Amino acid sequence: MNLENSAHLFRAKPNAARRAERGIFWLFRLATYVVLLSGAAVFANIIFKGAGTVFKTEAPFINTTFLTAAPESLYVFEWQGQKREMGDHAFRAFKQQHPEAANVKAESFVYSAGGIFPCIVGTVLLVLGSMAIALSLGVCAAIYLNEYARDGAFIRFVRLAILNLAGVPSIVFGLFGFGMFVIFFGWNVSLLAGWFTLAFMVLPVVITASEESLKAVPKGFREGSLALGATKWQTIRKNVLPYALPGILTSSILGIARVAGETAPIMFTAAYVVRDKMPWEVEKFSDFFLQGVMALPYHIYVVSSKIPQNEYTERVQYGTAFVFLVIVAVIAMASILLRNRLRNRYKW
Amino acid sequence: MVTAVHAVMEPLSPSSAAEKPTPRLAAAQPAAAAPAKPGAPAATHLIDIDNLDFFYGASQALHGINLKIEHQKVTAFIGPSGCGKSTLLRCFNRMNDLIEGTRVARGTIKIHGVDIYQPDVDVIELRKRVGMVFQKSNPFPKSIYENITYGLRLQGRNKKSELDEIVERSLRGAALWDEVKDRLDQSGLGLSGGQQQRLCIARAIAVEPEVILMDEPCSALDPVATAKVEELIQELRTRYSIVIVTHNMQQAARVSDRTAFFYLGKLIEYADTRDIFTNPANPQTEAYVSGRFG
Amino acid sequence: MSQSIPTTKPDHFVIQKKKVQFLGLTVDDCIKVFFGGNAVVSIVVLALITYFLFREGAGFFGQNRQNLMVYRQAGLEYVDFIREETDNHTALTRYLSDLRLRSLNHLVQQKGLSPEAAGASLAKFDEFAGQFGEAVDPVRVILSDLTETATAIKTKFIVNEDKKEERRQLLAEGKTVEAAAVRIVPVDFNAELQPLRGTLPVFKAANHAFANTLTALLNQVPVLPAPELEQRAQRFQALTRDFLATLPLVERNLETWDHHRPVPVSQTITAFVFGRQWLTASFWQDWYGIVPLLVGSLMVSIVALALAVPLGVGAAVYVNQIASLREQKIIKPCIEFISAIPSVVLGFFGIAVLGEALRLLSQQSWLSWVPGFPFSERLNILTAGCLLALIAVPTIFTLAEDALNNVPRSFREASFALGASRLQTIIKIIVPASLSGIISAVLLGLGRVIGETMVVLLCAGNRIAIPDFTNGLAVVVEPVHTMTGIIAQEMGEVVRGSIHYRALFVVGLVLFLVSLGINFMAQKIVRRYRISIG
Repeated sequence: MNLENSAHLFRAKPNAARRAERGIFWLFRLATYVVLLSGAAVFANIIFKGAGTVFKTEAPFINTTFLTAAPESLYVFEWQGQKREMGDHAFRAFKQQHPEAANVKAESFVYSAGGIFPCIVGTVLLVLGSMAIALSLGVCAAIYLNEYARDGAFIRFVRLAILNLAGVPSIVFGLFGFGMFVIFFGWNVSLLAGWFTLAFMVLPVVITASEESLKAVPKGFREGSLALGATKWQTIRKNVLPYALPGILTSSILGIARVAGETAPIMFTAAYVVRDKMPWEVEKFSDFFLQGVMALPYHIYVVSSKIPQNEYTERVQYGTAFVFLVIVAVIAMASILLRNRLRNRYKW
Repeated sequence: MVTAVHAVMEPLSPSSAAEKPTPRLAAAQPAAAAPAKPGAPAATHLIDIDNLDFFYGASQALHGINLKIEHQKVTAFIGPSGCGKSTLLRCFNRMNDLIEGTRVARGTIKIHGVDIYQPDVDVIELRKRVGMVFQKSNPFPKSIYENITYGLRLQGRNKKSELDEIVERSLRGAALWDEVKDRLDQSGLGLSGGQQQRLCIARAIAVEPEVILMDEPCSALDPVATAKVEELIQELRTRYSIVIVTHNMQQAARVSDRTAFFYLGKLIEYADTRDIFTNPANPQTEAYVSGRFG
Repeated sequence: MSQSIPTTKPDHFVIQKKKVQFLGLTVDDCIKVFFGGNAVVSIVVLALITYFLFREGAGFFGQNRQNLMVYRQAGLEYVDFIREETDNHTALTRYLSDLRLRSLNHLVQQKGLSPEAAGASLAKFDEFAGQFGEAVDPVRVILSDLTETATAIKTKFIVNEDKKEERRQLLAEGKTVEAAAVRIVPVDFNAELQPLRGTLPVFKAANHAFANTLTALLNQVPVLPAPELEQRAQRFQALTRDFLATLPLVERNLETWDHHRPVPVSQTITAFVFGRQWLTASFWQDWYGIVPLLVGSLMVSIVALALAVPLGVGAAVYVNQIASLREQKIIKPCIEFISAIPSVVLGFFGIAVLGEALRLLSQQSWLSWVPGFPFSERLNILTAGCLLALIAVPTIFTLAEDALNNVPRSFREASFALGASRLQTIIKIIVPASLSGIISAVLLGLGRVIGETMVVLLCAGNRIAIPDFTNGLAVVVEPVHTMTGIIAQEMGEVVRGSIHYRALFVVGLVLFLVSLGINFMAQKIVRRYRISIG
């Protein structure tokens, strides 16, 4: 064997096996990109179509009515040979102005005019309240599990419960909230009932996230502190929690996305199809907690299932979906980015 | 080679950190155990371990340990990995309580005659008096100043002037003052490995314990940093009782007055450091110190 | 050197506990108990969920028993025997009309006859079919009379029950006089059922005539133009004979029927678990059978997983083993990001875009080989399944990728060192080593899909019926209703405390138990996997 031949010994030769490997790798790649493309398709569809509702071509470029008004019915009618579209209020004013229009035949589409302001407010209220409950419960539970608990039957039981709680379908949480808060506690359809239902639903996420962040604080911090004569609580408060807190909060943002995005748990516990008053228009302070609210996800459900699809309703449907998707997506993106950054930053 | 390093370290022992002697300053070798010699007054036992059995879950880590640690001496624990020396050390301030499934099955540990495993003992109080320095330096991610004052603040001592004074004293005591005095407000994590470890020592002495436990304090340090820490230990011996666990037999020989050799959870031999290294009574000790196993 | 050796125990060495206690606990213990209490919340919530589902759902079985009892006592069951007979006959006539359509097609397409001529040549068949269809009419007349009678009895009973309830409420309010004024005539089922049962001889006569007509007709089945059609005609005859054989059975059922026979407790459970109908707010009889909903949920989940497992696991393998580091860094957050799309938005997307898109796609002629294509219902199992797949993929991807990541690097290196190619390493080493992790990822994906509400509510078509499996894979384009969907849809409309309301809670309970079961299995598999690696 001469030198030239031996130099070729390790050279890659194209053969069937190699081609098969390539082909199969391409299949895997295809699977990945199919997933990404389908996700992108959903986003693109809603962003492009929804942008038409939310943005305008002239200044201030944002359809402020849509974001700041309450939903109304849309009336479409022909007037002096022209097609007119008006919201409920405008239509009434129009009829007063033109008495001859009193009998004009108008097609009406509910919720298709006005805006979604009450829904945005309702969703924000639901998220704030439920996350406050979930965070206080969840962080404390995580502190117990990670700092105090010693392995034993009880702790295993707690962990099992958390794992299983994470797998309970959201509609079951809705049923539970309905049975317990709405009926048994007599809170009716209210913010309070929605808060607790959502908080319990998101509790496993918060506990897991908090525990992960607590685990990331090195053991040396605790030992060092204890060896200096700190009590357990002093150690946790001064030397563990401050370093775990950023992580806890970032990971919990993902919980916010979940809370904001769920419809099923609030369907019977907190959400109204339509409500004229804004949440702060209450007589007593306690009424604030015991009132139902409109919520974005529920509004999307209502406008996409209860009213027909056509060019007039499509605007509010896509507009609502757009606003909702953008809110949730921004929260989720912030969570993912912050988490990745945090992972890189804290290396003790 | 070994003797060379030995010689380098030797003269450092009696001198203060401030006036660093040049390494090559020759000194008589046998001086290794010299500081231990004149003291050695019997029966001033600080820690009295009596027939101690210790378990991790089902496996026994310590078998019937009997040991008396003397006041204001440096006591070194040596032995191969897993021989129980660190376990015993962590018994002295009950850090083992943090590990699940550990228990003292038999015997007592008395400090100043107080059995520290009695239920009425406040572990927090105990740990204030028995400080500890860990194998891996673990400064908190706070400023140097906050690191030192951490223990004091826990005790509710918040007076600025008092804290300033203690910080300086502790840092001087840990031979770190000159290196960090201009950046006390910077993070302790920004220091080098050896400085971090000395910061941890400073942190420990800030609360003025009686005993300082050192769990392989130099195992993660390079030779230069190690030399500084050893120098510091020599410095501290005048004010504190020190128990040091080490893997490094030369280190034990250099810094300690008394040495205990452990093997497989048993105390094999406990004697003056010089005797252990020059004239061990037990053949196992001899095999270990002469490097035949371990 | 050691100047100040204290010879005795110094005063300051006090390490005994100071007795600051609260309820026998030190401050630190109290803090611990406080945190522990928070940890217990998860158990409490789980217990409360179980409790409230049971609390609201438990009454269902009692009420359903009552429901079934009325069904029997008011004679509805009796009438349904006859109804079943006529329904079976209707199925036969439908078979006949299908046969006619095929014959017509055959004549027009194969024989080249004009539609009119073909119709004319089938005149004999039409006459036969007409006679066959009309044969049942006398029985039908009896059936409709009896239906009215039975409905009347049931109405009477229900009115009575309402009055009883009214009186009970009046008594509870202390209004004894008004309560006494509520007139309740107890329903005497024996008497009420008399007219119903009295029709038995009439029915028997009609039934005999019916049977005779059919038997006579059987000998006159007209000859059909093709052997394939003739075969179907044979099949029709066989079916008719089977049907005729059931007629005496119906009579015997009617004779032996006894409205006193109690409804066993077990039947209330079997009626729910194996009930093939979910029929509510009907004028005749409500049925609460979970099978159509369960099958709907399962079908949708199966379709979703069939799409999501290859995609999710494939993507996990790609990202973990094949993709470059830069690709990984982009793809992973993107797929995680997909999981942030709220399900109601996906559902809306299904209604607005995907359903119509799939329907249009199915009508392409080059895709007509696909089972079930073309279809006309845009909301069906397939539409919901596709969207649910998008929900399941991030779950499966993330967990499967974790499992792949947990395979020790050394496995891979060892395999490479032995000269295996990347593909061989993936297939023979990496995937098997992480298989249990992948399986549990798939299971958790299943749990996610089966519990998903909004997508199926909006996109599964909401037809409460067991899909028709006789068409093979074409079943995936049928609309169904699901367990989650039915709760979401009907919960808002039912009367609190009614049997329907309780039935929905029982469905929720089933859902809860199913999800717990799936979770449990996933955990068990993961635990086994840990041992095998360790």
